[in-house]
Amino acid sequence: MANSVKLEIMTPSKMFYRGYVELVIARTLEGDEGFMYGHSWACKLLDIGELWIQEAGAAPDDFRIAAVSGGFIDVKDSIIIYTDAVEWSEDIDMERVLSEKAKAEDWLVQHEKDADPNDVIRAKIAITKAITRQNVAGGGIRRKR
Amino acid sequence: MAAESMQDIKRRIRSVTSTEHITNAMKLVSAGKLRKAKAIFEKTNENSHYITHTIAEIFNSSQDIPPEYLAGNREIKTTCYIIVTSCRGLCGGFNSNVLKEAQREIDADWEKPVIFAIGSKGKEYFEKRGYEIYGDYLAPPENISFLETREMSVPIIEMYNRGEIDEVVLIYTSFISSMEQEVKNVTLLPFEIEKDPDIIRNSKPVEYEPSVEAVFNYLVPKYVEMMIYGAVVESATCEHAARRMAMENATDNAREMLDKLSLNYNRARQSAITDEIIEIVAGSEAQK
Repeated sequence: MANSVKLEIMTPSKMFYRGYVELVIARTLEGDEGFMYGHSWACKLLDIGELWIQEAGAAPDDFRIAAVSGGFIDVKDSIIIYTDAVEWSEDIDMERVLSEKAKAEDWLVQHEKDADPNDVIRAKIAITKAITRQNVAGGGIRRKR
Repeated sequence: MAAESMQDIKRRIRSVTSTEHITNAMKLVSAGKLRKAKAIFEKTNENSHYITHTIAEIFNSSQDIPPEYLAGNREIKTTCYIIVTSCRGLCGGFNSNVLKEAQREIDADWEKPVIFAIGSKGKEYFEKRGYEIYGDYLAPPENISFLETREMSVPIIEMYNRGEIDEVVLIYTSFISSMEQEVKNVTLLPFEIEKDPDIIRNSKPVEYEPSVEAVFNYLVPKYVEMMIYGAVVESATCEHAARRMAMENATDNAREMLDKLSLNYNRARQSAITDEIIEIVAGSEAQK
C-alpha cells in the first residue's frame, strides 16, 4: 500500500471531506495535476473542473469524483482544498444541471452582443460549471482505464 | 376613593399582564431562533475559522505576499468600516454597543470614514449623523448566504486596490456564550503578519501556480469574504441571544411588578371592606 496523505476539502458552509487519500487529481489553472504523499509544498489555484480522489486502501482504479467550482489547493504535510462549491458525482441533480445550462445558453444566444461583458463572463462560467457537473455525473471525462 | 384606586390598579395589572405575555412570547421565539442560529453558527464558525486560519497561516509563513496587502507599506488615510448590526430592535444593548464602538473608532480617525452597513440599525444611525453610507445589506442577517457576502466584499476589495481606502476594519459582536457577547474590532486589511514564534517560517520552497501574485490576489479577497461571512453569522446568533436576555429581563420585571400590584390591590380591597364594615357598624351604633 502506498503512503497516504490527509486531505481536507472545505466550502464556506461545511467541511465537505476529511480523510486519508493516496492520490488527488485536481484541475489547476495550468491543467490537471496529481498530488500524492510527499509532494513538494505548493499553493495553487484551481479551475472549474473535476476532482479525483483515491482513498487510502482503495483499488488502483477506484476513484471518487467530484465537481469543483474553482478554489485553491494548499499542499503542505497535509492537503487542504478550499472551494466555493463542490459536489460528489452521485449527488448531482442532473435535471437541475441541464435546465441551468439551457437557461445560460439561451441567455447567451440572445444577449451575447449587447450585454454587459461581466454578465457574459458569468453566463459562460455557468455553462462551464454545468458541463463539468454533467461530465462528473457521467463518471468523469477521463474515462477509467 | 378606595374603589377608584382599585379600579386603577386593576387596569394596570391588566396592562402589565399583557406586556408580560408579549415579552414572554418573544423570549420563547428568540430562544427558538437562537437555538437554530447557534447550530448554523457552530457549523460555519468552526469551518470558517479553519479556513481563515489556513489562509492566515499561508500569509504568515510566506515571504512572497504582494506588499500592498501588508501593514506598514502604505500610509493609512481613509479607513473603511464594516459595521454589523441587526435590523430589529428590542435586543437590549446589542446594537448600541456595536454603534458605540464604531463611533469611538470613527471619532478617533480624523479622515472621512467609508462606511459599509450590514443591518438597518447601523445604517440609520450613521445616516442620521450625516455620514455617507457607501454600501449596505439590509435583509435579516440570519439568512445571509455566502454569495451575498461575496457581492458585498467585492466593491470593498476593488476600492482597496484602487487606493480609495487604505484600511478595512470590521466591527461586529462576537459570541462568547448565550449570556455574554462582546463587541470585536478586527482589521482585515492591510494584513498584519503576526510575529508568532509558534508559526515556523517554512524552510521549504512553496510552488505557486500560476504565479505568486495570482494566488494572493485570489486568497486575500477570499479571506475578507470569509471573515465578513463569519462575522455576519456570528452577529446574528448574538442578536438572538441578546434579545432572549432582554426579553427574559423584561418578563421578570413584569412579574415582579405584577406581584407588587396585586399586593397593593389586595390591600386596597381589604381597606375598602374595612371601611364599609366600619360604616355599617357606626350606622347601627347610631340607631340604638
